[in-house]
Amino acid sequence: MNEETAWVAQAQQGSDEAFTKLVETYQTPVFNLCYRMLGEPDLAEDAAQETFLRAFQHLHRYDQKRSFATWLLSIAAHYCIDRLRRRKFSMFSMDAEDEDGNSYELPDPDSPNPEAESVKGQTRDRIHAMLKDLDDTDRAAVIMRYWYDYSEAEIAQSLRLTVSAVKSRLHRARKELAGLWQEEETRAESERRPYESPAF
Amino acid sequence: MNHQPFEEWLLNDKNLTAAEKRELDLHLRTCVHCTALSATGLALRSANVISPVPGFALRFQHRLAAQKIAERRRRFWGLMVLIVSGVGLFGWFAAPYLYAVITSPVEWITAIIGYMLFVATSVQALTQVITVLVHILPDFVPPYIWMVLISAMAGFGLLWTISIWRFSRAPQGVSA
Repeated sequence: MNEETAWVAQAQQGSDEAFTKLVETYQTPVFNLCYRMLGEPDLAEDAAQETFLRAFQHLHRYDQKRSFATWLLSIAAHYCIDRLRRRKFSMFSMDAEDEDGNSYELPDPDSPNPEAESVKGQTRDRIHAMLKDLDDTDRAAVIMRYWYDYSEAEIAQSLRLTVSAVKSRLHRARKELAGLWQEEETRAESERRPYESPAF
Repeated sequence: MNHQPFEEWLLNDKNLTAAEKRELDLHLRTCVHCTALSATGLALRSANVISPVPGFALRFQHRLAAQKIAERRRRFWGLMVLIVSGVGLFGWFAAPYLYAVITSPVEWITAIIGYMLFVATSVQALTQVITVLVHILPDFVPPYIWMVLISAMAGFGLLWTISIWRFSRAPQGVSA
């Protein structure tokens, strides 16, 4: 029996301490999933806390044959999907805003190459911002696939879908993201042109 | 423009051979659609994992403790409402009898004897009615009606048992 299985068994018998160990182990993946789904750190914190609370309350239903991480992320994904369906709200969190209200993330000044870090950060932000345009379930599938390396079968089990449905949702989401990416590239290109030197 | 098989390779994150990679690179130079697919794929794979603000587990412990207190409080008040309403209902029905007991013992003894006689004769009459029905009904009621009745009774029984179980079950970590 590995450490995690022991903690789960102890938590199923009512040990808060063992469950806290599980919270410490899985807080980052659960929080990240909630953040990618909901977009706002505050909402993600609340959703992640609620996920662990639900997991604790329904621990007796957990099947030891399944991966605990998959079970936990499945709770988080369903909670976020329900929440998004209940209230359709503005998703994108703003770490900082410019005068026009456009959002951007401040680059880390301590990083060795602030410019490169800033470009990387912008790319990550672009993807994060584009995720909000996807269907809720498609978004959950994309997050599980690319952030957690879940197989299509694991995603299907977590989201209660068939493997072929997961595959078609992932393809649709990827095409949608590519379309949005292309639109942004075109827009950025047209914004750059007026300032280009006529000599070029 | 024909995107096949490049689009499939990109969407399925296929492991490419050196020759396929060269072919894809050539296609990407001329196809904006596949370039966007490739760029989003790269961006998704390089996306970072965000951690919560430090102290998450501690905040969870506080939330769990608050939840347990709220749950205990809810169960306590639920039980209180049940007890108070039960006692109130009992008092409402029992008040006239209690008053009679206190004011005139002869009357209530007579009333009890009368009530017991009424119950005994009612039971006797009911038994006779049921006996007659048991003899007569099978000839009138078709067998499928009996099956429906028995199934309905079994269903109600099951529903009742599940309701009792669900109501009496305490959630994980909350003692009664």
